[in-house]
Amino acid sequence: MTLLLRRRSEVGLIVWVAALAITGSVAVAAADAAAFDRRQIFIPVAFIALMLALHLFLAWRGVRGDQLLFPLAAGLSALGLILVQRLQPADQPLLLQQLTWMIVAAGAFAATILIPRDLTALARFKWTWAILGLVLLISPLLPVIGREINGARIWIGVSRFNFEPWEAVKILLVVFFAAYLEEFREVITHSRRIGPFPIPPVPYLLPILAMWAMAMVVVIFEKDLGAALLFLGIFLAMLYLATGEAFYTLIGLALLAVGGFAVYQLIGHVHVRIDTWLQPFSEELRFGAGYQIVQGLFALGNAGLFGAGLGNGMPDRIPIVWSDFVFNAFAEETGFAGALILLALYLLFFYRGMLIAVRAPTPFLQLLAGGLSFIVAFQTLVIVGGNARLIPLTGVTLPFVAYGGSSLVTNWMLVALLMRVSDVTARVRGTE
Amino acid sequence: MTRGIAENIRGLSVAIAIAFLVTSAGVGYWTLVASDALASDPFNPRLVAAIRDRPRGKIVDTANNVLAQSVKTQDGWTRKYSDRSLAHVVGFASFKYGASGIEAAYADSLIGQDPGDPIATWRARYLGEHEEPGSVVLGIDPKVQKVAVDALTSTGRKGAIIALNPVTGTIIASVSLPNFEPNQVADPKTEDLAWQQVNGDQNKPLIDRARQGLYAPGSTFKLVTGAAALENGINPDTKIRVDDPWQADPSWGQYYVRSSSKAHGDYTMADGYRLSENIYFAKIGLQVGGQKLAEYASRFGVGAAPRCDIAVPKGQLSNSGTLDRPTLVADTSYGQGELLVSPLQMALIAATIGRAGVMPTPHYATEVRDSSGNTIRTIAPGAAGQVVRPDTAAKIAGYLVGAVEGPGAFAFGAKISGVHVAGKTGTAENPAGPPHGWFIGFAPAENPVVAVAVIIENSGQGGVDAAPLGGRVMQAALGR
Repeated sequence: MTLLLRRRSEVGLIVWVAALAITGSVAVAAADAAAFDRRQIFIPVAFIALMLALHLFLAWRGVRGDQLLFPLAAGLSALGLILVQRLQPADQPLLLQQLTWMIVAAGAFAATILIPRDLTALARFKWTWAILGLVLLISPLLPVIGREINGARIWIGVSRFNFEPWEAVKILLVVFFAAYLEEFREVITHSRRIGPFPIPPVPYLLPILAMWAMAMVVVIFEKDLGAALLFLGIFLAMLYLATGEAFYTLIGLALLAVGGFAVYQLIGHVHVRIDTWLQPFSEELRFGAGYQIVQGLFALGNAGLFGAGLGNGMPDRIPIVWSDFVFNAFAEETGFAGALILLALYLLFFYRGMLIAVRAPTPFLQLLAGGLSFIVAFQTLVIVGGNARLIPLTGVTLPFVAYGGSSLVTNWMLVALLMRVSDVTARVRGTE
Repeated sequence: MTRGIAENIRGLSVAIAIAFLVTSAGVGYWTLVASDALASDPFNPRLVAAIRDRPRGKIVDTANNVLAQSVKTQDGWTRKYSDRSLAHVVGFASFKYGASGIEAAYADSLIGQDPGDPIATWRARYLGEHEEPGSVVLGIDPKVQKVAVDALTSTGRKGAIIALNPVTGTIIASVSLPNFEPNQVADPKTEDLAWQQVNGDQNKPLIDRARQGLYAPGSTFKLVTGAAALENGINPDTKIRVDDPWQADPSWGQYYVRSSSKAHGDYTMADGYRLSENIYFAKIGLQVGGQKLAEYASRFGVGAAPRCDIAVPKGQLSNSGTLDRPTLVADTSYGQGELLVSPLQMALIAATIGRAGVMPTPHYATEVRDSSGNTIRTIAPGAAGQVVRPDTAAKIAGYLVGAVEGPGAFAFGAKISGVHVAGKTGTAENPAGPPHGWFIGFAPAENPVVAVAVIIENSGQGGVDAAPLGGRVMQAALGR
């Protein structure tokens, strides 16, 4: 009983998550009663049991600090399961796979709570993480384990299970940047200036620039536009968090514009992506490269304020909807109101993460928590922006919600890291 | 030192919060603002989803004959069409290949969400409560339609006939050959093969030649040239010398305007219309000037898409959109040059002359009804505008009666006993083979109730072949 009282707010919120998981699953099943499979009720029950187990694990380990992140991640994951149940094609058992991945993610979460015992180990072995990250990035290009799916060689796989290594690399990149920037923050921040413009202390920036450039080269080689954009975002955000120089960000954005234009001219599939973004409804594109986004926008157009109701829309007309367009599927069936609530959940997650960052006791932990929270928010913006045709569409996933194991596992590890920063802060400050 | 980072964290948080706001606004745009445009896109599968799950409304003609209805089959509801000759107008609704024609243009009405019934629309869209859909009534008159189909079919050629009421703009008959079998495109069992066949056929059966076909108008365009001339100081009774072949000055080099009858003589405007004399119209077109001629063409809707309940593509005045060379002005004056016009547009031009210079707004449907047969909305768009003065239109109408009934008139085939008919034939040169034959006209000439346009592709004798077809269709419309 004392175990249950240790993280009391959390357990209260998990009850809501449980209610969401059950009602969502039932609503989807009720909308298509003919296809109802009695065994499906097992899925939300297993999920709830898993979440309760994780909660008890946290209480047992005596993890202190934030009690909102875990229920938020659980709620988003519950939405993910509901949507995979709603969207899985008849011939692909995606829901069972997603639940399997959820179990793996829970294991990874628990492991990250335990290891390493001391978070500063992350900072000490920063070069190890950098090299591990690069190896992971290159791994899809290797024979035997490397796999190409839908024209992008960004996967490694064992039997039926495929993993996108860059999802893990984004965390390693944040760890490395946080550690490196903490070490050299003084020199980088107090650079000389010409008028209002800082002169970047190139020798000290070189290692992180090199690290980032290598990541970009590999990612471009593997034709993964989304990962490239994410890495650039992480790089600029971490630089800003460490130095507070908006000027660096502006340079970065200018480089993005120039580089983007060059890539647009040189690389065929980027060219197609941009054209598809600019005029998906044109005669040549609407049945070709633009088909997916056009169908996605049709789904949004059907949303209205309160949506068609779970199971009553037609998001299944969007190709690969369960991984690329879950946001549109959710919006179509729950309306603009539902879409806003979903975005608010991500903003809340980000806000809690940034709060943890502000309070963290050391620059490394501040940068780490800030960077990790940024990943979730930025990745959400990149995919939702692409889904709503505000920016070109890229293949990143909607964190926690979209179908896909790599994303789920790494995002749950990210949650664990954030909670550990919060835990350290609580211990240092001697508060709950 | 740690305080510095805390400030940066706040800065980044504000930036991200703003980005979330912008993204939310973007999502709001698609879900709330653009949703109507997206919902009515003919390729939106939601439009036609109802064909599988629920019956769609009926499409009927003026005699209440059912042209399209939903029939329950093993795989759900399927659309059945009763008149292949109306395949282009009624269109089709396919789960896979989208919708066309009335099926697309009135898709919302056919699923019980007519804009004239906002409450039912709101209930269906937000609460998922679907009323039994009503029907869309077309202005197609089955008797006139049958005569038009028989007439065009008898030629054995590709082409189109369209007839409309010059006062209301209601289209009463429309046929385009070759056509396609809409039942096969709509049926999920045959849709793939049928679509491949009709979409790949080089005769282009999917194109509604009456509405979407773009042709050089040939001499039928002389209605526009004549109206421009009358309103710009040309005296129609002044005789103008015609000598075949003709060029304005030696700078035209090897270029000449040719008379189809190799004429030599003095022509009034009445003679010009009756004998369809190209050199006469080239000369008055040049006197009027390229700028004025372009303005009148534009007033008659050439180069623009007319407002219509089913989308009409726009034609063109010339490749550049202007008439900036004397030879182009001369050629355009008698309907060649770089002109491209649809039969529907030419029928509207004829109607405008018949109706004292007022151009009607064309429409296929006349009414949307609910499931109990009550009218939800009548479709009766107002006139598009006064295009030329009534006296100008009256004079041209008189010349057009001469072009049908006068001695040696080309359009004699359009005569109807007991009624004065106004009309004009046209022969449109085209690079792909023998010239196309045109006829446009209206009847009764003094107070028309029907205007018609006929095109026969690669017809042997040009407009002379088309005129009798126009006459038969107008006769049917007059109930004679």
